[in-house]
Amino acid sequence: MPAKIIIIATIILLIVSFSMLFVIEAKNHNYDYKKSWSVVYFENPRDLSEATGSLQAGDSLDFVIENHEGKNAEYTYKIFINDEKIIEEEIEIAAGAKQKISPVIEKEKSKGNKITVIVTYRDTEYKIYKNK
Amino acid sequence: MILDLIKLILTIPFVFFLPGFFLLLAIFGWKNPKISFFERSVLIVPTSLLSIDFLILMLNRLGIILKGPTIIGIILAFSLLCYAVFFYRHSRKKAEKEKLSADFFHFSYWQTIFILISIFLAIFIRTIYLTDTIVPSSTDLGHHMFWAQKTIDTGKLPTYGMPDFIVGEHIIFAVVNLLSGLSLLGATPILVLLLFNITGIFTLSMLAGRIFQNPKIAATVFFVTGVLYAINAPQGKYVSGGVVGNVIGNMLIPVALYFLYRAFSEKDSDFAGLFIFSTAGILYTHHLSAFILLYSVAAIIFAHLLLNFKKIFQLVGDWLKIFLSPFPLTILLLAIFCFLFVYTPSYFNSAAISQATGKPTKITRVGLSFEQLETNIGGARIILGTLGLFLLLVFYKKRDYKLSFAFAWAIVLLIMSWKPGWLYVNVPSNRIGNYLFLPFSLLSAFGLVEFSKLFRKSATSFFTTAFLFVLLFFVITSGMADSNEAFKTRPQFQEALETFHSAEYLSQKIDSSQDVLLKDHVNIYADSWYKLFFMKDYNYPLSRGMLFRYVDPTKPRETCTRDMITDPESESAKKCFAETGVNYIALNAQLEGSSFEKYPEFSKVYESNYISVFKKVRP
Repeated sequence: MPAKIIIIATIILLIVSFSMLFVIEAKNHNYDYKKSWSVVYFENPRDLSEATGSLQAGDSLDFVIENHEGKNAEYTYKIFINDEKIIEEEIEIAAGAKQKISPVIEKEKSKGNKITVIVTYRDTEYKIYKNK
Repeated sequence: MILDLIKLILTIPFVFFLPGFFLLLAIFGWKNPKISFFERSVLIVPTSLLSIDFLILMLNRLGIILKGPTIIGIILAFSLLCYAVFFYRHSRKKAEKEKLSADFFHFSYWQTIFILISIFLAIFIRTIYLTDTIVPSSTDLGHHMFWAQKTIDTGKLPTYGMPDFIVGEHIIFAVVNLLSGLSLLGATPILVLLLFNITGIFTLSMLAGRIFQNPKIAATVFFVTGVLYAINAPQGKYVSGGVVGNVIGNMLIPVALYFLYRAFSEKDSDFAGLFIFSTAGILYTHHLSAFILLYSVAAIIFAHLLLNFKKIFQLVGDWLKIFLSPFPLTILLLAIFCFLFVYTPSYFNSAAISQATGKPTKITRVGLSFEQLETNIGGARIILGTLGLFLLLVFYKKRDYKLSFAFAWAIVLLIMSWKPGWLYVNVPSNRIGNYLFLPFSLLSAFGLVEFSKLFRKSATSFFTTAFLFVLLFFVITSGMADSNEAFKTRPQFQEALETFHSAEYLSQKIDSSQDVLLKDHVNIYADSWYKLFFMKDYNYPLSRGMLFRYVDPTKPRETCTRDMITDPESESAKKCFAETGVNYIALNAQLEGSSFEKYPEFSKVYESNYISVFKKVRP
């Protein structure tokens, strides 16, 4: 009888432990649950010279901001050609959402130049760029 | 989430209970004085694991694609076959009315309470520790899950092409995934390892109970193994770290020795067959555990023959009689057939074997210092284990198997990790040291029980109580110090998730047939899981490893993966870029990520708080 009690108690404890760990993992395996971060990336990571060969220049500069800050957030983004700022906008993105931005830039201006996108949320700056 | 949890809770008994239960039923019948309820329950998980491994190897050899329904079918067919054998062998026999002649697992009321508290603490401490590491992140587990995922994706066991991985480390995870549908990039792999780790405490207790024929010692093992050093390697840290082979080996080695002990001491061929079965299973699961087991068995046999020198021929004759019976011979032939014609483990070649034996070739293989041994075994276990060893030598008859088993097992592992050159062992000593806790836990439990018994006989009850109090105070404070870590760790879930996000981005955006990705293992957390997003081959993406790995006095190492990140504009790095074709690099955003911005030949295409991805623009 004691052996049965030991085995049954172990099975119950393991079920409780497994359930707890499983639920904790499932909750935390989420980009937004108790997390605070953002990400900026080019939709098409290929460089400008490659992109202009096959796509419209405007398409290749499409970028995405994802908000995983845990609340609605207001981002500021600036686009530079070399060091010249050509666009500055603000955008509000809901918690957990992402926003694709397609900047309209003249093909002639962008060709052969470094294009930089700087996205700011509070004090944090996210910078992506395509070198010529 | 709840549905997934239910799937897991239904899958675990199907995989880890059914095959083992029916296998033991076929061998021992429903009730058998040879095996108690406790032992049968403990053996179900290991025998299920071994049965599943062999069934999957067989399916794979027959060219049957591994899928959920196929696996359900083979488990049910195996269970049915075992039931048929049980029915044929045992049903006509009269139910055994005799009481178990010697049930060493008939625990008293207080022993049961003590075991229950120990199990509760063992599971509680590990669970609390794992709550901060449960999101998949460890390097080893990432590597192992790549192979398990490969099995799932292709429906076939992988061809490794390297001796580092063994099929038994991956089959069980693929099976659980194929039956439950739960992703490997989740809690399931760690929960399976936790099950093996907890079962390992039971298997060691079962071995101790049999060797020392004392339920008190079996009960004490729960405390010594389960509660003391519950977090240190190879316990909680190996579970969260995904050290699959060691965790499984730590569960199976006591099982194999338990079968061997019973085969020898009771001259029982059923146990001899099961010993061969479990040893073959270990050979398919983990080379180091198999190596440790073979050395341990050799030491036990040698020690027993030496201690009973006058009866050497009689002993050898007895053993041959046991092992040359129909059941063990059948299992042996099946195991040989399996090795030769069904699946040969990737490490099974003369080069790998000669690498592990001989004079130590590296500084990491020449043996551990006393401080390192203490770290591996634990201070409390060393003191109690040494005490146990001393008492064993003084009070036990040399012809007893208990002396050969407990003594020789501890001594051979101690020499293998302290002075490996004496035994021609050429394996990293630290890795062998991780197994020392097994015999030392056994001896510690023995030492604690026997020493308290000794004092009760010879001293006043006050002195006994005071001494035991001091000893237990030391054991508990030393042995449970590491458990503080369970409450101190900081979860790195955000870093892991940001790593996964970057991997997901890259897997969708780049063409892995043309683009070559290099990631930084040194500064990116959970990076080894990158390969699960691509599932291209084991070496994709390329990885900058720990810097010390690039310096090896015994042979030249490739340095491209280091140079392309450390100094991408150097001549050697430029050559490496040209040779490897690397055109994407994932880095820690705060470290190399920011310094990489100064290189004009790269574009930065992705940035989060933790990860930056660069694309090489020009050659």
